[in-house]
Amino acid sequence: MNNETTKTVSIEELRRKQPRFQGITSGHRACLGCGEALAARLVTEAAGPDVMIANATGCLEIFTTPWPESSWRVPWMHSLFENAGAIAAGMESAMKAQGKTTKVLSFAGDGGTFDIGFQALSGMMERGHNVLYVCYDNEAYMNTGIQRSSSTPHAARTTTSPPGRERMGKRHLKKDIVSIVAAHHIPYAATTSVAYPVDLRRKVRRAMEIEGPTFIQIHSPCPLGWGHDGAETLDVARMAVECGLYPVIELERGKLTGLLPIREPRPVSDYLKVQQRFRHLFQDHHKAREELEHLQALADYNIETFQLSGHGADDQDTSGLNEARRGGVRSA
Amino acid sequence: MKYPRGGYALPGTTLAFKTGTWRVQKPVHYHYAAPCHHACPAGEDAQAYLARVEEGDFRAAWETIVQANPMPCVTGRVCLHPCEHACNRGQFDESIAIHSVERYLGDMAVKEGWAYPVQPVPANAPRVAVIGAGPAGMSNAYHLIRAGYNVTLFDAFPLAGGTLRTGIPNYRLPDEALDAELDRIFALGIEFKPHHQLGREISLSELKEQYAAVFLAPGAMQGRNWSVGDVVPQDLHQGLDLIKQWMTVGEVPSFQSAAVVGGGNTAIDVARILKRSGTPEVHIITHNGLPGPNAIPGDVMRAIPREVEHAQQEGVQIHEHRGIRRLILRGGRVTGVEMVHMKKMPDETGRLRRVAFEGTETVLHVDQVIPAIGQVVEGEGMERLLGQADWLPVDDLFKVPGQENVWSGGDACSTGQGTVAGAIGDGRRAAEDMVAWLRGWERPELGERRIVEYAQLNLTYFNPKERAHEPILPVAERTGAREVVSGLERNQVMQESHRCFSCGNCMSCDNCWTLCPDSAVLKNPDAAREIDRYVFDYDYCKGCGLCAAECPVGFIDMVEDN
Ligand SMILES: Cc1cc2nc3c(=O)[nH]c(=O)nc-3n(C[C@H](O)[C@H](O)[C@H](O)COP(=O)(O)OP(=O)(O)OC[C@H]3O[C@@H](n4cnc5c(N)ncnc54)[C@H](O)[C@@H]3O)c2cc1C
Ligand SMILES: Cc1ncc(C[n+]2csc(CCOP(=O)(O)OP(=O)(O)O)c2C)c(N)n1
Ligand code: SF4
Ligand code: SF4
Ligand code: SF4
Repeated sequence: MNNETTKTVSIEELRRKQPRFQGITSGHRACLGCGEALAARLVTEAAGPDVMIANATGCLEIFTTPWPESSWRVPWMHSLFENAGAIAAGMESAMKAQGKTTKVLSFAGDGGTFDIGFQALSGMMERGHNVLYVCYDNEAYMNTGIQRSSSTPHAARTTTSPPGRERMGKRHLKKDIVSIVAAHHIPYAATTSVAYPVDLRRKVRRAMEIEGPTFIQIHSPCPLGWGHDGAETLDVARMAVECGLYPVIELERGKLTGLLPIREPRPVSDYLKVQQRFRHLFQDHHKAREELEHLQALADYNIETFQLSGHGADDQDTSGLNEARRGGVRSA
Repeated sequence: MKYPRGGYALPGTTLAFKTGTWRVQKPVHYHYAAPCHHACPAGEDAQAYLARVEEGDFRAAWETIVQANPMPCVTGRVCLHPCEHACNRGQFDESIAIHSVERYLGDMAVKEGWAYPVQPVPANAPRVAVIGAGPAGMSNAYHLIRAGYNVTLFDAFPLAGGTLRTGIPNYRLPDEALDAELDRIFALGIEFKPHHQLGREISLSELKEQYAAVFLAPGAMQGRNWSVGDVVPQDLHQGLDLIKQWMTVGEVPSFQSAAVVGGGNTAIDVARILKRSGTPEVHIITHNGLPGPNAIPGDVMRAIPREVEHAQQEGVQIHEHRGIRRLILRGGRVTGVEMVHMKKMPDETGRLRRVAFEGTETVLHVDQVIPAIGQVVEGEGMERLLGQADWLPVDDLFKVPGQENVWSGGDACSTGQGTVAGAIGDGRRAAEDMVAWLRGWERPELGERRIVEYAQLNLTYFNPKERAHEPILPVAERTGAREVVSGLERNQVMQESHRCFSCGNCMSCDNCWTLCPDSAVLKNPDAAREIDRYVFDYDYCKGCGLCAAECPVGFIDMVEDN
């Protein structure tokens, strides 16, 4: 029995009647299984309709607005790669001047956040604008063809950090952007991952309620850039958190106030071996072995520094948070 | 189209661009059979009724069961529950306590007085004859009535129930539980004729003529003949007869020490009854091995492992892999048996054969030997059908070959499984074929749904949780007809339903709807059928396969789509 559903309502009508707010709609040109497209949809869903967005150049901007179309169903603006923070600050000031309470969001990739847009972001926060800045962290400049950014993890291959005789992929470390941002003494800075939609939504709602600059960094796998199947996006994202390489934490006024405990930390190799960008680490070569250990040490360092190990089973840890329930209560 | 001026676009306009054209594979919903459903000989869909329990709708859960099996009070107690052996959760932590939930629902239905959701049969509908009011006959009658036929049920015995009444002891299956379910089936309007034995009060040829169709379910009620080298003790008691005596009189003679021969449920129950009636030393001698992790497949006692364990707790000594060489008699009475070690070994052709090991003979002093080595059909009135065979021959759909309108099922038929659930399933499937024949339809297909494998589930979305176990009477309190095992509490039943993986059938978890990067899964909360609650919008689905990967229950398959 191959039961492709018998439709009683038309699909268009069903789409209009979806019991959730749709900030981004279908027809966008993201790749199959794009983590960033999913993350942005989840953010706009949780933020609701009373928002406006300043979006930096990058995949999200490109795949949602192939002129003359747009996937956005909220006011949305794009200017440049480097100035999303500044544009958002301007929008917020304009709203304020008109006595409006619409929340301004600023969206950018990791290139647009960690690197080229950092100064605009830093200024926006320093001036205390009421803006939620969301960084979709896919760990490279994906839109222009996978160039390394300061978010690219150590030892990952990109087109500008190719593994070869001298180096095993990227030479430098991934920048700890959330700590840098939190050092602006802002009320709320957090990391989350598409693999934990419950955590992601909670953090967006939390940030929406705060008056002042807030920041959320979302780990969003890029199947093309990382070299994994689009069907595995969530699995890959989940392993990044479970191995400790991507700590999911909350910082308030610069202090660690929350974290997603890991039920049972798994080896980094589980996470790395499913991605082409780390494949060179599994060759029979002493440097490869050394870098594999290096990444494991970085994960262990995160687990130790942020105390990520859980204490027994908990419904709020990496395993508990994702428990499926009949009727979808989990997604609330 | 009219292009907007300058660098702006209208909201949501990418909907004009159908990304579905990119797709080379597409997700489809496929309702796999859950392993528990597939394994149930009675045909119960545990996945489906556990889902109703989880929703808090106990009545709907019970109604789901009785679509297949009208007697969940009975099977919830006595079935060896192959569903639980097949349960996917068993590979994760511990299988779902399916039989306990079944029993809970069965008991609840009795307490609440729920009636079967069955329409009354029109008086002028054709009438079918059913022989034997055991589980096979009762199930067949029930399903015929559900399908709109009148039934006349004949049994040689004064009361209905078959081996459920005369074989399975009341400390495992209390009369109240059995009677409640039998009465509810009779309330559907069966014409019951007790004291009617085929071959005496009625004949098969009469039935074939006077009724539209005939179902034969006389069970296997006669103990197999037993002797050791043609020697039979004078005061021999058949195991089955002792059980009948216990069930009607409430006690059996006690001995100094007794050896029960056999490894099935009858042997175990005879031994437990002897213990309850004051025989201090009770042995079971069986060719086969005890059930357990080290058991050799094909060489394990046929009795239900749980019952074997209970018997051992009660002090029954089991001698596994033993055969009886010789009876030691004094003046026709038994004083002991000579046992020898035996095992099933493959011979040069690879076939398993029993080998006795010389030099391992031992003597056990007992004053009674009680055979319980299996039962055969009491062939009276069915000689022509039986011929030389021990069982009534049937085809895949339980029709007796060469007969125009005769079917058979349960322990009496050649494919009988020797279990209550098997008999109930036979009765149901035979009824399907009978109904098809009566209406002039094609015979029902045997086609089987694919079963969802453990590897198809996404276990990320489940967490280990302890299984509930039914309370068991301490050994000292296991006297007379006191029921040894009792039922679960409501909260435990709810907990078991939460533990269920919902294998192969959507649990409305929202994962696909939440996680599709292209919003190509639409939710339809008003859909009448559970399996229609989520709809793929193939205009936009790019076929990434993420939804299929993240579906916890394996309800989404990716198929080629060019
Ligand atoms: C001691 C014992 C313990 C058991 N324990 C279990 C257990 O725990 N779990 C389990 O699953 N199974 C158990 N079984 C097996 C189970 O009881 C049988 O497989 C099941 O009852 C078979 O059902 P049936 O309807 O085919 O036949 P039966 O239940 O044997 O019913 C046959 C009926 O036909 C009637 N009948 C026979 N001949 C005629 C005739 N000529 N004319 C009219 N009526 C006739 C009989 O009076 C009887 O009512 C046990 C069996 C025994 C003996
Ligand atoms: C000043 C400037 N330099 C370079 C570019 C080219 N460019 C467009 S998108 C992009 C990369 C964006 O990377 P990131 O911010 O990480 O977002 P992603 O595409 O990975 O989501 C670059 C380099 C540009 N648009 N403007
Ligand atoms: S987990 Fe549930 S659906 Fe799956 S086999 Fe076990 S009882 Fe059946
Ligand atoms: S996740 Fe969405 S796009 Fe991907 S296969 Fe499923 S429905 Fe299609
Ligand atoms: S992911 Fe959840 S909601 Fe979607 S089909 Fe599977 S069980 Fe149903």
